Amino acid sequence: MQIRISVIALALTLLAGTARAKDEVSHLKSVEAKHFKAAEGVELSPAFADYFYAELRNELTKSKLAADVIGEGEAVDDADAAKSAVITGTIVEYKKGSLVKAQLIGFGAGMRSLKMDADVVRRSDTQNLCVLHVHVKVDPRWNEKVMAKAAAKQIVNEMKKALKEGKSS
Amino acid sequence: MTPARKLCAVLFAAGLSLVLVARTAADEPKPTPENTISVRLAEPVPAQKFEPGPKFWITDVTDRSGNPQPMLVLKDRGGVFLDREPTVILREALNDSLKSANLLAADAGSADLAVRLYLFHFGLAPGSGLDLFSKVEFSAMVKNPKTGESQEVKAAGTSIGKGAFRKKNIQKNVEENLQEALKDATRNFLRGVQLKQAVNGLWKAPEKATAASGTSDRRKLDRASLRMTN
Repeated sequence: MQIRISVIALALTLLAGTARAKDEVSHLKSVEAKHFKAAEGVELSPAFADYFYAELRNELTKSKLAADVIGEGEAVDDADAAKSAVITGTIVEYKKGSLVKAQLIGFGAGMRSLKMDADVVRRSDTQNLCVLHVHVKVDPRWNEKVMAKAAAKQIVNEMKKALKEGKSS
Repeated sequence: MTPARKLCAVLFAAGLSLVLVARTAADEPKPTPENTISVRLAEPVPAQKFEPGPKFWITDVTDRSGNPQPMLVLKDRGGVFLDREPTVILREALNDSLKSANLLAADAGSADLAVRLYLFHFGLAPGSGLDLFSKVEFSAMVKNPKTGESQEVKAAGTSIGKGAFRKKNIQKNVEENLQEALKDATRNFLRGVQLKQAVNGLWKAPEKATAASGTSDRRKLDRASLRMTN
């Protein structure tokens, strides 16, 4: 009986390992994240764009979506261009929120909010691989960099999902 | 209030301010072997391929960060200092990488392209507070010493690393984080499209140049022979 249980446990562990390995397979050779532009009327500090760019690259590296996450403006071999992607985007809206509203009303009122649109295009022919719309809400007391972290995470998750769906369909 | 009491009050105030100044001066972190880190590339960064490759020479590195204490990376927790100036660290990183790619000239005189660097940021930048955010940003003026033409190439490197509570770990994480940012900036410069464009625009391979002059000479000869026959 004990042997059977151990064999089943071993088989389950092996299955879990293969499932994870399959999930982590990257099909892009490289991905380049560019600094996101801010739309007119968006009042964010200049340091935000830099931090968000760094955070986006960090999240892309963690996600293992591509074999290599390259910096902005780096050259890619022509042979790899068809399997490389570029992420560009715009910060569409930013509301700094209200601490008074958040404290008095609650239920999500007065939250700091950020809306972003991003395009993922293939490097070789600039064909659109996916379009992402991200909306992040955080507590108004939190630093805007925390919001950048959340937004970068959400963009990468959406991208992962979209690329997976695109691949399966 | 009598003049003697006034004098006493003034002296007391002056003494108090001196004590406060001395205390703030004592709070200023000072570099010691324990709080000094060494930032250098673990291995040279591979540069993009140029066919044939020009020879670069870094003439000068200027610090344009405006930081009065460029070697102080972190002020809190007794401070974290760099062992060398950021300009020296950047020059070493680029020289090592150019050398490994066989793109470094032996001296300034034999260089095809001279590079003058302007360092804008080297160190930690304000992050989310939960992690460490390092940034290395510089600009390079790539110049052809023969023609005098030059072109600007910008490069930046960032890195986000985990924060820490213990001082020893903070120091270790800051060191790793800065090394990563330096590597990223070096890579961004050496593998950048801007450098490729600068090299293509400023420098012509000697073979191409001689080949071009050879063809023009041949054309001249052909024209001369045609005139002779006419």
